[in-house]
Amino acid sequence: MASLPRLHRARTSLSAIPSLRTSHQPGAVAPYHAPANSLSTSLSTSTSTARSSPISSSCLISNSATISQAQTRTPTPLCIRARARSHLHAQPQIQSALHPSIRTYHSSLHPRPPTHEYTNSQVAILSASLAHIPTEGFTRAALTAGARDAGFLDVSVQLLPRGEFDLVLFWLASRRGLLRAKVEDGCVFGETAGTPAGDRTGTGKGKGSGLSVDEKVRILIMERLRMNKDVKGVWQDALAQMSLLGNIPLAFSELHALSNDILNLAGDTAVDSTWYARRMAIGAIYASAEMAMTRDPTPDMVETEAFVKRRFEDKQALKDKVEGVGSWVGFWGNTVVGVGRSWGLKI
Amino acid sequence: MSARSAWRALHYSAKRRVVQPTSPYRCFSCTRQAFDQAKPDQQRMTHFGFTNVPESEKESRVGAVFSSVASSYDNMNDLMSLGIHRLWKDHFVRSLNPGTPVANRPADAKDQGWNILDIAGGTGDIAFRMLDHATNINHDMQTRVTISDINAEMLAEGRKRSTATPYYNTSRLSFVQANAQDMPHIPSDSVDLYTVVFGIRNFTDKQAALNEAFRVLKPGGVFACMEFSKVENPVFDAVYKRWNFGAIPLIGQIVAGDRDSYQYLVESIERFPSQEEFRGMIQKAGFEIPGKGYENLTGGIAAIHKGIKPISRV
Repeated sequence: MASLPRLHRARTSLSAIPSLRTSHQPGAVAPYHAPANSLSTSLSTSTSTARSSPISSSCLISNSATISQAQTRTPTPLCIRARARSHLHAQPQIQSALHPSIRTYHSSLHPRPPTHEYTNSQVAILSASLAHIPTEGFTRAALTAGARDAGFLDVSVQLLPRGEFDLVLFWLASRRGLLRAKVEDGCVFGETAGTPAGDRTGTGKGKGSGLSVDEKVRILIMERLRMNKDVKGVWQDALAQMSLLGNIPLAFSELHALSNDILNLAGDTAVDSTWYARRMAIGAIYASAEMAMTRDPTPDMVETEAFVKRRFEDKQALKDKVEGVGSWVGFWGNTVVGVGRSWGLKI
Repeated sequence: MSARSAWRALHYSAKRRVVQPTSPYRCFSCTRQAFDQAKPDQQRMTHFGFTNVPESEKESRVGAVFSSVASSYDNMNDLMSLGIHRLWKDHFVRSLNPGTPVANRPADAKDQGWNILDIAGGTGDIAFRMLDHATNINHDMQTRVTISDINAEMLAEGRKRSTATPYYNTSRLSFVQANAQDMPHIPSDSVDLYTVVFGIRNFTDKQAALNEAFRVLKPGGVFACMEFSKVENPVFDAVYKRWNFGAIPLIGQIVAGDRDSYQYLVESIERFPSQEEFRGMIQKAGFEIPGKGYENLTGGIAAIHKGIKPISRV
């Protein structure tokens, strides 16, 4: 159990960019280094400062996270050391990271399987397209402009079989990865850098430790919504794409991945029967807050924040009601069974 | 004593004479000759429908088929596919979305519009659709199509039909008679979009054509191919085979008066590699495959294959 934190760190460093892993088809090149290579050309300025400066300055950069910034991260010396120390334990993880298979269960000890399998060229086009979203929207025009920026032809957007929806998915996945990177850098909950999500609850370090899971979840949801500030005006495009019949399953799985990540980062490690209910609640709150955000004229998203707060109160009220009804039903059920047994019924 | 041994020798040879040699008489020199003669025939065969023909003959045989069907090509397509081929072609062109809107075009771009090469597009079905899409949807007046076909009769049919389009006698549309396996008149890295629709099936050497496509495409350019493929649902496949081998030659006999050409057509459909095999051939030529690499149309009767020529990155 003592090696768990180190294990965690090794894992997070491996999956530092969970959403941007490239495909593992035999034809694809170097799964883990590939996105970093392809992104680093366009993002060299922001990432190089982030790498060379201490955490506080990297916080500054990711706090003012612009669209063009993506989450290229290299393992820090700390985590390399940690990986070396917990070599025996870390080995199977690395193995499974190199040969990921579809896993139907959630595990904090294994790297998450890649959400999307994009090849290098696809990542190059998509990440160049992100910069065009605020002006062009989630459209084919943004993709074309991105392809041209990345040195491709207009016709090369054929690389993305889903077209605009690929751009939406990539936006969602990359923002999700960025959120994770920010939390792990300690920019959201203060100086807790290096501590993985699972351990932050117990130890009394940093200002994040004083917060409850619910409060952390609320902060994370707001943090994620603030990343949408620049695309607020064109978010309807994305919603329209996601509501198409064929795209609904992928949109939902992405929403689930986000709520799962938020809960994980907030330090929620419980695996009880409310596992699904909690994820559904977070997903519902986030999705409805996105809708509210598109109608929010305030620059700081004050109204959205108030909306999220109200939804959390609703969630609490609903939870209390359900729990109340549950205990009522349980009590009466027990009573009826007890009375029945006292009458000699075989139950 | 000597009489006995002589008798034995005679006896032996008499016995031996009964046994017939299993192989014909071959001296070393004539074995070499026979081997040399057999080799080209044995290796250089290709299929023409269900029959095997020498490679050199296939081109002329396919030429004969298409020369004979050129005039009734359109009516026959409608009858054979019950009109569905128009939907496929429309879908194909719409998914490729040819043409760049002027508003999205950078002012300093040296290449205005797309350079499209339509292989085996003799009658211009795809070419006119592409130009229509570029003009009407994307308001792109610069995109141009080169129709290339090996068959002069099919090209003549396309020329005839082009007079009814607004692209007749403009620089946006040109016709070339060429073999897609070797196109020295087209420079390397010069084509944005290479399309071959219901044509690659008839090529003598498909891999050579794919390699040539890879050569002429610009880095980042797209190879798009629509071709008959394998139906995945076995029940539907049985119905489809019945239609193919029962109805199509009959329709060909009644409407076009040419049963053999349409018999070849259905046989060549049957012989064409499956979706996965053909995707492998595209990959082998060096193309990058987007996603699954193919899209089935009408349950796999036809499939759209795409490949992108990768750009060399530093």
